[in-house]
Amino acid sequence: MSGIIEVKNLGFSYSAQSTILKELGFEVMPSEFLAIAGPNGAGKTTLLNLLCGLLSPKTGSIKIDGADIKSYSVKKLSQKVAVVRQEFVPVFDFTVEETVTMARIPYLGTFGFEGKADKEIVAEAIEMTDVGQFASRPLAQLSSGERQRVFIARALAQNTAILLLDEPTSFLDLKHQVGIYDLLKRMQIEKAKTIIAVTHDINLAAQYCDQVLLLGADNSYRIGKAKDVFSAEEIEKVFGVRTFVGTIGQEKFFIPLGEFAKDSGTITTNLKEGQQAQSQ
Amino acid sequence: MAEISAAKKLAVKVSICLAVLAATMFLCTMVGTQNISLEKVFAGPGKAPGENIDYEIFIGVRLPRVILAALVGAALACSGVVLQAILRNPLADPYILGISSGAGLGVITAVLSGVSWTFLGGSPIAVFAFAGALITVWLVWCIGRFTGKTQVTSLLLSGVVVNAFFSAVIMFLTSIAKSEQVYSTIFWLMGNITEKSLSVLWVSTICILAGIIGLFSISHRLNALTFGEEEAKGLGVDTAKTRVVAFGLAAFITAIAVSLSGLIGFVGLIVPHGIRLVFGPDHRQMLPVSAIIGGTFLVIADTVARTIVAPAQLPVGVITAIAGGPFFLILLAKYSRKISWLK
Repeated sequence: MSGIIEVKNLGFSYSAQSTILKELGFEVMPSEFLAIAGPNGAGKTTLLNLLCGLLSPKTGSIKIDGADIKSYSVKKLSQKVAVVRQEFVPVFDFTVEETVTMARIPYLGTFGFEGKADKEIVAEAIEMTDVGQFASRPLAQLSSGERQRVFIARALAQNTAILLLDEPTSFLDLKHQVGIYDLLKRMQIEKAKTIIAVTHDINLAAQYCDQVLLLGADNSYRIGKAKDVFSAEEIEKVFGVRTFVGTIGQEKFFIPLGEFAKDSGTITTNLKEGQQAQSQ
Repeated sequence: MAEISAAKKLAVKVSICLAVLAATMFLCTMVGTQNISLEKVFAGPGKAPGENIDYEIFIGVRLPRVILAALVGAALACSGVVLQAILRNPLADPYILGISSGAGLGVITAVLSGVSWTFLGGSPIAVFAFAGALITVWLVWCIGRFTGKTQVTSLLLSGVVVNAFFSAVIMFLTSIAKSEQVYSTIFWLMGNITEKSLSVLWVSTICILAGIIGLFSISHRLNALTFGEEEAKGLGVDTAKTRVVAFGLAAFITAIAVSLSGLIGFVGLIVPHGIRLVFGPDHRQMLPVSAIIGGTFLVIADTVARTIVAPAQLPVGVITAIAGGPFFLILLAKYSRKISWLK
């Protein structure tokens, strides 16, 4: 089986002086959940913008569903790839329902009115993301977490095979961070979505994603399963931060150790019987 | 109850608004310094000119003027809706990108040069205003594209700069002009609807309606554009093409409105806001409803302008400013809790 996204020798730079991405290559299989991690300036959002066609590769190629991304029109691409950017408040007061309904724009004719089928898809997306309770409220009256769910609902209603997210949990508290990743995982399992999320949270990435792409600031990269990519040495090399790496069962967890961190080496856990926390 | 589709809901709203516009136009055509009888109007034209004066006033004088007011109001309101959307700025109005100063410069050039020819029945002032408006908008567009990648900001800035520069040129030309020339320029700048020939009315009606229909056909893409360039592209909108079409059509209908009636303020700013407050920001709804309500508003304003100090007439721009401000404040007070950009 070939990947739904195939990236080969990808290179990109905003100016001749600085190269953001260099000879990047990876493949994402259908219904796979990939996290893109890395320090600020490593090119995570740039890569996301390349994958959604907002930027064009300087070198190399990106294939979406077997065809070069440059062969897609804006409209056709938006029927394959939906993007959720960091949440924001729009200038005008569109309601939640109006915002989610905009997902159907790529499928509308000249005068742009939704049909019955479009409405059903929107209703289903609203239900799955649990935003129906505030469907008639303007986005400005929602909390950041609620707004992010609305944008995810819109991406779901766009009915694309691929879903790209740019730091979907920044500005959210712990409960909402987990809530968003639970929702994404459900979309991956129930709707067979291929999901790529840029994230700064390597714990969430390790817990929820099938693969991790770790971009370094020096144009290096590693891709693989989180347990293989995220090691204490690799994290220190890429992020420049000492990190405690532990495991719970099969899963790793990470605690960054700053200058003032107490490095006692003892961890107290409230794990259930049978589970063990081990330091690496 | 079966769910009513968005298109049907809109059709109902538009029909109600059209009925209000038609009723307003009819009533305003009946109102004026000369009382006219409806019976005589329906009796049709007399055998000889001057035999049925009521009919001639209704059909020949007031009706064209009322239609003209409705057209200008519709064009300005639609243009305001579109510019606020593509510039993502609630303070944008049809004149924000230099149309007013460009048209003004055209008018003062026509007045000072003393040209007397006409084009498609339009006076030289109208033709120069139209040309001045479109050339200026084109200039602003070119400067905006040339100076910046964030096109919205650079467009706004180049509009402000060109407006300021042309206004200075207008002031200079006004200062060296003779008093009667200055008077006709200032009267035009205040916004003034006067009777126009039928050929002008026909051409303008076709152009403005075509422009509004063109804008309506991209109104769902305007919704996405208000979320920003990246979001709109993600929703499958060809942002560059949509912006060019929206900007071009908005400039075109504004230039026609300006060449017909001078600079009438407030309609293009207040009507879109009023409609957005009451009906919500969906442009598929805002465009047609704003067009009709903008037309209705200007028909009423023009009727007041021609009757309040009869037999003299006030420039309609004065009435729209005086009436529009308080009307908008009432709407704002009623709906302000709903709008986030005020918070």
